[in-house]
Parts: sequence; C-alpha cells; structure tokens
Amino acid sequence: MLSMLEEVVLLAVDESTGGLRATRQYGAAYALVGAVFFDLALARRIDTDTDGIQILDKSPTGSPTLDRVLSAMGQRGACTSVRDWIEEMFYRREDLEGEALSSLIRQGILRHEKSKRFWVIDVERFPIADNQSHSDVRQRLAEAVLNDSIPTTRDIMLVSIAEPCGLLGYVLTDAQLSNRRARVQTLCKMETISRKVADAINDLEVSIRQGIPRIV
Amino acid sequence: MIQVTEETRNGWRIVAVSGRADHETADALEAALRSAVEANSKVAADFSGLTYISSIGLRSVVQAARAAQTRGCEFAICGLSGVVRKVFEVSGLDQVLKIHGELPC
Repeated sequence: MLSMLEEVVLLAVDESTGGLRATRQYGAAYALVGAVFFDLALARRIDTDTDGIQILDKSPTGSPTLDRVLSAMGQRGACTSVRDWIEEMFYRREDLEGEALSSLIRQGILRHEKSKRFWVIDVERFPIADNQSHSDVRQRLAEAVLNDSIPTTRDIMLVSIAEPCGLLGYVLTDAQLSNRRARVQTLCKMETISRKVADAINDLEVSIRQGIPRIV
Repeated sequence: MIQVTEETRNGWRIVAVSGRADHETADALEAALRSAVEANSKVAADFSGLTYISSIGLRSVVQAARAAQTRGCEFAICGLSGVVRKVFEVSGLDQVLKIHGELPC
C-alpha cells in the first residue's frame, strides 16, 4: 500500500507528459508535510486533538522519511502543537516530494527520465510505468468527493491533502468541483492536521498579500 | 480507559461510552460500535460519559458510522458535552453524522 505522501505525489504526475504539476508551490509544500503527519497517524506513531500533537511510539516504521520526521519530533520536545510542527517541517525544507518520487520509482510505479531542452536546460520527467496505482488513487479521490457516503479514513485524508495542493482540478471537472465545493470543505475540516495545514497556508497567503516580509 | 455498556430501548441499541477515546481505547470503541451496527438496525452512541476524544478516537467513530451507512443501519450520536462536543463541532461532523442532544428513544 502506498503512503499518503506517495499517493499525493503520484496524483501530481501528469499522466500524458510525466511532468510534475506544481500549481501552488507553498500550499503544496505545507500539504506534503501534512501527508507525512497523516502517515505517522495511520502508523499509530502520533495522535492529535484539536490543537496538540502527541508522540505515541518512537519505534521505526520502516519508511526512512517517516522515521526521520519521527526522530526529529522525539528529539525536540518544545513543539507540542500540530501547527508548530507543520511550520517546523515546512521551514526545514526537506525534499519530501523527491523522496516520494524515488520510492515510487523503486516500486516500479514511475520511471525517471532526464533530457535536455535547448541542449542546456535539464528536464526531469516521471512517466507512469504502472497505470493501475495512478488510476486507483484518482478513482478513490473522485468517488470520495462525488459520492455522499462517508469515505474511508485514508480517502478523507487524501482529499484534504489533494485540495491544498491544487490537485482536485486534475481529477474532477470544473463543474463537478463547483457543485461539490461544500463536500470538499466538509472533508477537509474533519481532520485536525488538514485544518492546521489550511491555517498555515492561509496565514502565509495573507502575509504575502499584505507584503509582510516572511522568510519562505 | 473506556467503559462500554449496552441496552436495547424502543428498538434502539444504545451503546453508552464513558471515559477517554484515544489511541489506547479507539480500537475497543470502534469494535463495540461496529458490533452493534452489524446486529441492529438502529444504534445510538451515547457519549454523555465521554470526557476526551482524540483524532484516533474520532476516526473510530466516523468509520463505525461508515459501517452503519453501508449496512443501512440508522446511527445516531447523542449526549455530547464539553470538550468532546467542541471536537465534533470543530471537525464539522454535524455535517456528516446524525448528532442528537438526547437519546432518540
């Protein structure tokens, strides 16, 4: 089973070109941090409530990315709120996307191709090698938004991470998204981690609009 | 620790839960609710004795409600108060689940 981080990064791959869609740079960076926290929650290593985050178990998960984040959390006791940890991981600027891509390549789901544009500019592409995983994630995302039934925990998390990454528009039509906006908002609100990711993105966007200097 | 007691009243299976719904108790909570949902057509989760619920606990409730929806079982949540009510409100679960002030029976 793919991790939440891998599923979101897989959704970002353009199936026709192998390019990576990056529509909201900072939003996506925050959302990928949220995906890692969801993976830690699913592995029962952390739990959250309305504000706080608690480490339940420091034992390794088997994922280098998750274990590195978990280790960092264990060493730094000062951060106890979900929001603090989202900001902490965001500013560390670790290459979560790159790690997920490497893992997807190792699993045979993506290929890695390098080429030159105009003989000078390096271009990386990640064509889909195993279409099943890609279409499964897309289908689950679409069903979670378009159906009225209660989704699985993983699918609630998937929607709430795909939305701030700007990826829903690649799976659903504009009309579908417009008609189901309330449903998307409901699903995004259900998890503390996604609410705090949304708060972080909103605060950053407000800072940018107001011209307040903030190191990003 | 959570304590779960069950009784049937006017066609409703009432699952009364007290204590804390967190990582230590979420599996037991979900199992109790799912078991009730699988054997009954109307289930009310009485959370008036619940003093705390974490995200793991909340996911257990949501997934039990999902199981009820799949089976066509009417599933109601009742008796929310204090910090537990706040968690349900902040999470917008009143949009997804049937939440009653009192038991429906």
